[in-house]
Amino acid sequence: MGASQTRTGNEHQHLMDKTGFSSEQIKNLRKRFLQLSGNEETIRNQRGDEAGAFQEIGFEQFLMVMCHFRPPTLKMTAEEKEAMRKEKLRFLFNMHDTDNDGTITLEEYRKVVEELLSKSGAIGQETAEAIADAAMLEVASTNVPHMAPDEFYEGITFQHFEQILKGLEMESRMNIRFLDVDTTTMRCGRSTS
Amino acid sequence: MSAPRLTFSSAVFHFSQRFTTVVPESCMLILLGLVLGGIVLIANKKQLYQLEPALFFLFLLPTIVGDAGYFMPARLFFDNLGAILTYAVVGTLWNAFCTGFCLYAAKLLGVIDDRVQADLMDFLLFGALISAVDPVAVLAVFEEVHVNDTLFIIVFGESLVNDAVTVVLYKVYISFVEVGAENVQTADYFKGVVKMTSIGGTLVGLVFAVILGFITRFTKKVRIIEPLFVFLLVYLAYLTAELFSLSAILSMTFCGIGANKYVEANISQKSRTTVKYTMKTLASIAETIIFIFLGISAVDKSKWAWDTGLVSCTLVFIFVFRAAGVIGQTWVLNRFRLVPLDKLDQVVMSYGGLRGAVAFALVVLLDGEQVKAKDYFVATTIVVIFFTVMFQGLTIKPLVNWLKVPRSTNRKPTINEEIHERAFDHILTAVEDIAGLQGYHHWRDKWEQFDKNYLSKLLLRKSVYRKSELWEAYQKINIRDAISVIDQGGNVLTSARLSLPSMASRASFPEVTNVTNYLRENGSGVCLDLQVIDNVPGAKVEEDTETHHVLAENLYKPRRRYQSHYSRHFMPLGEKERQDREVFQRNMKSRMETFKTTRHKRHKKERSLKKQTGDVPPLTVVSPPSVPADVDGYQSPTAAHHSPVGGDSHLPWKGGLGSPPPCVSVEATKIIPVDLQQAWNQSISSLESISSPPPPAEPVHPRVIALSRLGGPRPASYSPSSSVGGSTSSIAAQVSQGFFLPLEKKKETKKQEEAEEEEEEGGAASQEMQPLMSSLRPPGSLPPPPPPPPGSAPGSGRRRNPCVYLKSLVTAPPAGGSELHSRGPTQL
Repeated sequence: MGASQTRTGNEHQHLMDKTGFSSEQIKNLRKRFLQLSGNEETIRNQRGDEAGAFQEIGFEQFLMVMCHFRPPTLKMTAEEKEAMRKEKLRFLFNMHDTDNDGTITLEEYRKVVEELLSKSGAIGQETAEAIADAAMLEVASTNVPHMAPDEFYEGITFQHFEQILKGLEMESRMNIRFLDVDTTTMRCGRSTS
Repeated sequence: MSAPRLTFSSAVFHFSQRFTTVVPESCMLILLGLVLGGIVLIANKKQLYQLEPALFFLFLLPTIVGDAGYFMPARLFFDNLGAILTYAVVGTLWNAFCTGFCLYAAKLLGVIDDRVQADLMDFLLFGALISAVDPVAVLAVFEEVHVNDTLFIIVFGESLVNDAVTVVLYKVYISFVEVGAENVQTADYFKGVVKMTSIGGTLVGLVFAVILGFITRFTKKVRIIEPLFVFLLVYLAYLTAELFSLSAILSMTFCGIGANKYVEANISQKSRTTVKYTMKTLASIAETIIFIFLGISAVDKSKWAWDTGLVSCTLVFIFVFRAAGVIGQTWVLNRFRLVPLDKLDQVVMSYGGLRGAVAFALVVLLDGEQVKAKDYFVATTIVVIFFTVMFQGLTIKPLVNWLKVPRSTNRKPTINEEIHERAFDHILTAVEDIAGLQGYHHWRDKWEQFDKNYLSKLLLRKSVYRKSELWEAYQKINIRDAISVIDQGGNVLTSARLSLPSMASRASFPEVTNVTNYLRENGSGVCLDLQVIDNVPGAKVEEDTETHHVLAENLYKPRRRYQSHYSRHFMPLGEKERQDREVFQRNMKSRMETFKTTRHKRHKKERSLKKQTGDVPPLTVVSPPSVPADVDGYQSPTAAHHSPVGGDSHLPWKGGLGSPPPCVSVEATKIIPVDLQQAWNQSISSLESISSPPPPAEPVHPRVIALSRLGGPRPASYSPSSSVGGSTSSIAAQVSQGFFLPLEKKKETKKQEEAEEEEEEGGAASQEMQPLMSSLRPPGSLPPPPPPPPGSAPGSGRRRNPCVYLKSLVTAPPAGGSELHSRGPTQL
C-alpha cells in the first residue's frame, strides 16, 4: 500500500504539473476513468477504425483532454488567459478537423453541422448543408475579403478559425468546474456552478 | 395636462443631443420635473401633482417590468441565476437589516434628531424599502453605459428579483408596526412568507406564461389580436400576483421570460413587431412619467420634513453596506462561479446599486398615523433617489470609462458563432458526462430535452415545432442579409437578364460582401438595451407568400454574383445558357402561378435539372415557397433549405427559386473540393444512362466520402435501406425512368403535389439515386451508423432526403406502390 501510494503520488505530481489539475481533481478523474474503462488501464475506442484516431487511450491522455476544459483562475495573467483560450480553440479545431490536415474543409464542417442538428431530428440533410455552406462562406468572406473568381477556398485554417470566433466569449463555453471533492461518496452528487 | 408636458419635455430632451451623451436621460427628466414642479408650485401655491402610489404600482411599474421581463435574454439570465439570486436575496436582506439597525443606533446615539419619532421597527421598515435596488433606475442608467452583458444582467436581474424580498419585508414590517413590537413573530413566519411570496409569484408568472404560449398557438386565424393577448396576459400575471400579495414583479418577469420563447415563435412577424414597439413605447413613456413625477414630488414641501442627520446617515449607510455586501457575496460566489467576478465588476456592481421610484412609492404609501416619522422618511427617500440617480447616474459613465470596464460588444451573431455556440453546449454536456459530473450543462441539457419533448409540443405551433433553433438562427441571418442586399442593391428586380458577372459586377462583389458585413453592424445580437427597438427585423418567414416571393425573386441576382467567386467553373453548361434557362423558367413559373390552385407545394428546382438533358420543355412547376394551411409542417423555410441532396454539388447553381437562403448558401456550395468533379461527371453519366447503374464513385464510407460529396444523407438513413439496396434500385429505376419521359411530366407534377413525402422525389431522387445506389451497393461494409435521429423514421416523410425516400419505399412497399399508382388525375 505504501509503495503504491508513493508511486501514485509521484505520478500525480507529474500529472498535476502537466495538466494543472489539483490532486483531488486528479483522484476523482482517476476514479471516473476506472469506471469508464471497467477497471482497466485504457479505454478502447468504440467507434472502430477511424483515420488518425487512437485505438485506446490511457489515463494520462484522458487527463490531457480534460484539462482543456479547465476554467481560468483568478490568478492568471492576461497572457496566460490568452494562451488558454488559444489552446481551447485549438482543441475545438482539431475536433472538427477529422483528417488532421490543418484545415476544416466543407465536408468536415458539414458533418459538424449535421451532428449538431441531428438532435432536433426534424431537419433535413439539405438544411444542414445549407447552414454549413453559409458558414463556410462567411468564414471565407471574413477572412479573405477579395477573392478572385478563380480562387478557391480550401478550408478553414486555424487562423481563420480563431478570427471567426474572435467575438465568442470562450470563458463560459469551454470550461467545466471540476470537482474538488469526491462525488462518488456523496449521496446527492453536489455539483458546481 | 401631463401629455403636453411630456411632449414638451421629450422634444426638449431630444434637441440637446450633446447634452444627452453626458447626462443620462433620467437625470434630465428629474431636473425637468423639478422645474415643472416649481412652476406649478409657484403658480398654485400648492402642489397639484404627485406620484400616486396607486398609479405607480398599477400602471407605470408593470409597463416597465413587463418590457424588461419579456425581452430579457433568458439564457444569460439563467446562466447567472446563482449570482442573481444571491445578490437579490442575501444582499437585500443584508442591506435592509444593517441599514435599519445602524439608523436605529444612530438615533440612539443622537446623531438623528429627536424630532424623528421612530423606533427600531420603523427604522427596519425604512431600511427595507430604501435598500432595494430599483429596476427602473438601473435600466435607465445602465442603458446609457453599455457595460458587458454579464455585469448588466447580474445587476438588473438582482433589481428585478429583489422585489420579492422587498415586498415581504415591507409587508412584514408594516404589520409589525401596526400590531406593535410586542407581537413580533419569529423568523419562521418570516421565512415562510418569503418563500411563499417569491415562489408563489414565480409560479403565478409561469402559469400565465404557459397559458399565453398555449393561446398563441391557436391564434393563426386571429392575427390581429395576437399582441393583445400578449399584453393582457402579462399584465394579468402582474395583477393576479398582486391580488394574492405575492411578488408581482417576479410574476411578471417570469411570465415574460417563460412565454417569450414560445410566443415569439408562434405569432406572426407583424405581431412581433407590434408587440415590441408597443412595449418599448409604453415602457419609455412610463419611465419618463416616473422620473418627472419624482422631480415634481420633490418640490412639494408640505409632504416632507428635513432632518440632516437622518439623510446623511442614510446616504452613508446604504453606500457602505452595499459595497460591503457586494464584496462579501462576490467572494463567496467566486468559489462557485465559472467566470469569476473581478474587482472591476464589483466596483461597478456596488456603484450601480441605484434606488429609484419603487422606494419612493413605497414610502409614500406608508401610513402617516402609524409611522410618525413618515415625512422625514419621505424626504430622505427623495434625497437618496436623487443622489443615486443623478449623481451616480452622471458619474457612472466616466467611471466605467476610466476603469476600462469591458463593454458590451454588440456584435451580430454570425452563422459560425451560432453553430459553435451550440457545438459548445453539446461538447460541454458530453465532457461533463464523461467526467461524471452532473453539472450545469447536464441539467441544462435535461431541461432542453424536456422542453423539446413536452413543452414545445404543447406550446408551439406544429409548423414551428419542427424546426430547430439553429435553423431559426440561420434563417434570421439569411433573411437579414437578403433584406440588406435588397436595400443596397436595389436593382434586383429590374433586369432578369443578369449576365454573367463580368468585370463590372465582379467589382461590385466586394460591395455586396461589404454590404453583408455592413449590415451586420446595424442591429445587434443580444441587445440588452431594453429600450432599443432598432434591431434588425430578422425573423422567421412564415406563411407569408408575398415575402417569400419577393425574397425569392430578389435573391436571384445576388446568388449570381457570388457564384463566380467561389466556383471552379467546371459547369458543364455554359453559364449564359443556363442562366437564360433559369430566367425562362422563372417567367414560366410566374405564369404557372396563375394557373395554380390551392395546393401549392414547393417544388424543387430539380425540375430544372432535367432541363439539362434538353428533353423536357422548361415547365417549371416551381410552387410558391409557401404552403397552404392544410399542409402543416411544410412552410416556406422548408422551401428554403429545399435543395436537392447533392444537387448542389451537381449543379453549381441552384435553380432554387423558392429558397430564400441561397443568397448566402448557394454560392457557398462552390466551395467544393476538386474531386467533386468526379462525382459530377458520374452523375451526369448516370443521368444519361438511366437504367445502367453507375460505377461506384468512391469507396463506401458513408461518413465522409461518397455521401458527403453528394451531400450524403445521414448515415443513419442508410442502414435500413442498405439492406435492400438491390430491390430498391429497381423501383428507383422505375421511378426515375418516369421522370425523364416528357409524358410523365404531368405525373411528376401531380406526384409532387400529392405526396408530401415525395417532395424530394421529383428531381432529387433521380439524380441522387443512381450514385447513391452505388453507395448502397455494398451494404455490408457500412459500419454501424450512429443512432439515427429520433425523427428519422416517422419523420421520413418530412425529409427531403432521397435516401429517406428510398427507405420509405422500402419499408412501405404498398405505400410506394400506391404512390406510383396514384398519379391519376391531373392536378394542377
